[in-house]
Amino acid sequence: MKPQTLQPPHWPLKFLRFFLKKEYLEEIEGDMEEIFYENTERFSVGKAKRIYTWEMIKLLRPNLIKNFEFVNKIIQYSMIKNYFKVSVRGLLKSPVNSFINIFGLAAAIGFCIFFYAFVVYTFKRDQFHENKDVVFLTTFTASREGALRQYGLSPRPLGELLKQDFPQVTKVCRVEDRNVIVKHGDNIFNERIRFVDPTFLDMFTFPLKWGVSTSLTDLNSVVISEPMAEKYFGDENPIGQSILVKFTSENGKEFKITGVAKKFPSSRSFDFHFLVNFDNLRTAQPGFDFHDWSAFHQATFIQVAQPSDITMVEVGMSKYKRLQNEAVEKDWAIASFQFEPLATTHIKTDEIREDVFREGTHSNLTSIKFLSGVCILMLLLACFNYINIAISTSVKRLKELGVRKTIGATRRLVIVQFLSENIVVTFFAMLFGILLGWLVVIPWFEGLWHFSMEFSLNDPRLWMYLPVIMLITAIASGIYPAIYISRFQTVTILKGSVRFGQRNPITKIFLGFQLVLACMFITSAIVFTMNGDYLANRSWGYSNRDVLYTAVADESAFQQLNDVMQRNPKVLSISGSAQHIGKTHQTTVLHFPDKDFEADRLAVSPSYFKTMGIELAEGREFKDFDGSDKNAVVVNETMVKNLSWSNPLGQQFRIDSITYEVVGVAKDFHSYSFFSLLKPAFFTVADKKDFKFIALKVNREHEQSAFEDLKKSWVTLYPEIPFNGGYQEDVWGNYYEQMGIHGHVWRVFATVAVILAMLGLYGLVAINVSGRVREFSIRKILGADYKNISNNIFKQYYGLVTVSLFVGGPLSFFFIKSVLDFVYDYHMPLTIWVVVIAASLLVAVVVITVATQIIKVFKSNPVEGLKVE
Amino acid sequence: MKKTKLGEFEELVLLTVAALQQEAYGVEIKRELESRLQEKLSVGSIQSALKRMEDKGFLTSKFGEATAKRGGKRKRIYATTSYGRKVLEEMKDIRTQLWSAIPKLAFELKAIG
Repeated sequence: MKPQTLQPPHWPLKFLRFFLKKEYLEEIEGDMEEIFYENTERFSVGKAKRIYTWEMIKLLRPNLIKNFEFVNKIIQYSMIKNYFKVSVRGLLKSPVNSFINIFGLAAAIGFCIFFYAFVVYTFKRDQFHENKDVVFLTTFTASREGALRQYGLSPRPLGELLKQDFPQVTKVCRVEDRNVIVKHGDNIFNERIRFVDPTFLDMFTFPLKWGVSTSLTDLNSVVISEPMAEKYFGDENPIGQSILVKFTSENGKEFKITGVAKKFPSSRSFDFHFLVNFDNLRTAQPGFDFHDWSAFHQATFIQVAQPSDITMVEVGMSKYKRLQNEAVEKDWAIASFQFEPLATTHIKTDEIREDVFREGTHSNLTSIKFLSGVCILMLLLACFNYINIAISTSVKRLKELGVRKTIGATRRLVIVQFLSENIVVTFFAMLFGILLGWLVVIPWFEGLWHFSMEFSLNDPRLWMYLPVIMLITAIASGIYPAIYISRFQTVTILKGSVRFGQRNPITKIFLGFQLVLACMFITSAIVFTMNGDYLANRSWGYSNRDVLYTAVADESAFQQLNDVMQRNPKVLSISGSAQHIGKTHQTTVLHFPDKDFEADRLAVSPSYFKTMGIELAEGREFKDFDGSDKNAVVVNETMVKNLSWSNPLGQQFRIDSITYEVVGVAKDFHSYSFFSLLKPAFFTVADKKDFKFIALKVNREHEQSAFEDLKKSWVTLYPEIPFNGGYQEDVWGNYYEQMGIHGHVWRVFATVAVILAMLGLYGLVAINVSGRVREFSIRKILGADYKNISNNIFKQYYGLVTVSLFVGGPLSFFFIKSVLDFVYDYHMPLTIWVVVIAASLLVAVVVITVATQIIKVFKSNPVEGLKVE
Repeated sequence: MKKTKLGEFEELVLLTVAALQQEAYGVEIKRELESRLQEKLSVGSIQSALKRMEDKGFLTSKFGEATAKRGGKRKRIYATTSYGRKVLEEMKDIRTQLWSAIPKLAFELKAIG
């Protein structure tokens, strides 16, 4: 046990000093201390401390504590106490209405909490780096395809020159990634390793779990991430172990593990798996030219002493621009250099091209805008429910109001009363909302996208945000009913001549607005679900259901695998290629006499079209013999369109110095996912020695077993090289899953919105019906049947629902159209039918809601109804 | 007895102050009362009784010396005012009178019943 200091604990004393009257402080503090020391002689120190703390708390007596101004005020307004009592009683008296109010607000607040967590997650990204304000990413801007674009690359010699030429630049770190094979014992995997200058671990805050951060100066050390340590070594400490890194099939090097990074914070846009010294590039790629201005490093980071120093560096960048532009062709000239601070780079990752940041890092700004919209709508829906129910039920409270006014309540006090009641309701709603957000909404969202927002309730800013939300909600929902109700004159109330609540136009407008919103949410849910199905079945322009592919090291590897798989009866055709649809392409500049044009190039073997199922619109495929069609290209339809060729066949252009001629036009195919636009692309014949991929068309029924065969042959041929292939339909990874998620999210939003709107409607109808119990009882006694009573109740809602649908329908249509156009470049054709379906669903729900009340009325005994009061 | 009320607990504290004379400060009063009443008392209850009675004029107080045991803070020594002593004596008289007014038999009967 650690020795305990013989001193009274600190925090109770601070607490006491805050609350106790100043003039008593010295005496009581002294007394307490004396008793404490006395107790330490009799009891253990721990117990003495506990007694001390407990005594401190018991000192909080009215005549000992300070007179706090606000405390006095509250005591003065002892009416407030009465308000709270009345509001709690009110809540208990009509549990259904209370439930509707509290549940509605809670659901909305739950979404707000989730929204908060998401915003915090987004903006705390990369903020854990201690040097986030003084570390900058070097970027350049260049004019491409007519627009100024920003690139995260930097010319190779730039880093060293910056260090030499600017005293402000204290540290420089160059980053270069390579795909390699990593081997340790039986573990062989494809990995991406990062070559960095030893300054890396100084500039970025990635603390190590094991090992020393300075070890990167050693050419033979490697620092790995925690997941990699687990992957290769399990739970044991791998420091001192060796791994073999194979840069190519012949060229490998042993590295000793000298560091393991601690688990990275989940909100980050930049990390690593393997770090090795930058100079290892010489080993990995003999002849790598560090001084070549025409080639790029993946990234160069610089660190300056003061954030303001960066302007000095920026001013001096023009000479490097000249050096750079002298070294490269005119097409690749750059416009300027720019530095992006690490603290804010994550917001710009969508704009900066070819940066080193993690794949799938988005700025999230669109999502934040979208979610804030949804949260506000949800809050609005909940507030409307509250307002409607408050106004309708206030008729029952008119007497109370009259009495209050008679005994001296001013209008202001009545408003305060209604608002304070509202704060009680919102407070309960907030408690439930926190639980909902914390235990339901956030885990749901994290589960969908497989990430952790590291949300915790232990966040002081959350507790500032929540009361703000609570107050805004309470006032937004309470102010109108409060003003409306407090307006009535005492005399008219007590005379009983005030009639309102049932025919309030505002109530109807709010309900109508809710129905419109619900209609929009339902339409969105339907459209996203349908669109998901549509895109899943849409043609990619090639067959992706019965094609397998795998990367191969070189021509001989291709040949070996080809020979084995050729004998397999399940395989229908085999093709090699240098690039493969969905995996890689080569961005190429085409020269025409009058202009330059950028397109994606895919170098393939002549049989590639057949294997991949790409159809030709015009012209011919490549001829299938060695050395055929060396200068022929097949272009896609988008390229024909973008170049506005009326007669594409026979058109010519130059790449570098070779002239190519168009011999065929392929129908458009998606080499990117449906989230992006089709790009101009063309095929050339690949030299066999450039083959990097093998594609196999297989019998559809035997696709799985063919895949197993492929893997088996691979393992027998190359036990040392990990298999790197798959089904063509999987090249977009979780693309189909993403589609499903969109539908899922919208269905949840729609369900919540519909529930909220229906709760509101239910509340209104219930109040309306209970106010007319006697009328219905008399009708029934006089022989009214189901039809008559239903008509009577429905009559009030015909107009409202019709108007809402006529407003909501077209609105939903244009809303969802703009959302779809914004999110997807290719989506299903929108028809008016989706809105009709949504509207019918809505009507059905409305009818069911109202019908429950009709059944209740009809089942009730008219005698009971007439006995009321 | 005048309008001024003296609660039962307050009376006990006041008597203790009177008995302790120069030693009458918070901790000592608490210790004395605890040993006589055979129960634990909180600092808060003693202090709030003292402060109340000071307001009502039964007690006066002045700062005494500081000791190391108290972390250098001074004691506050309480003393009864003449008014306080008068009220105490009145209370005592009233009690004695009441005691003597109880018929012996009635008391015993009550004890049996």
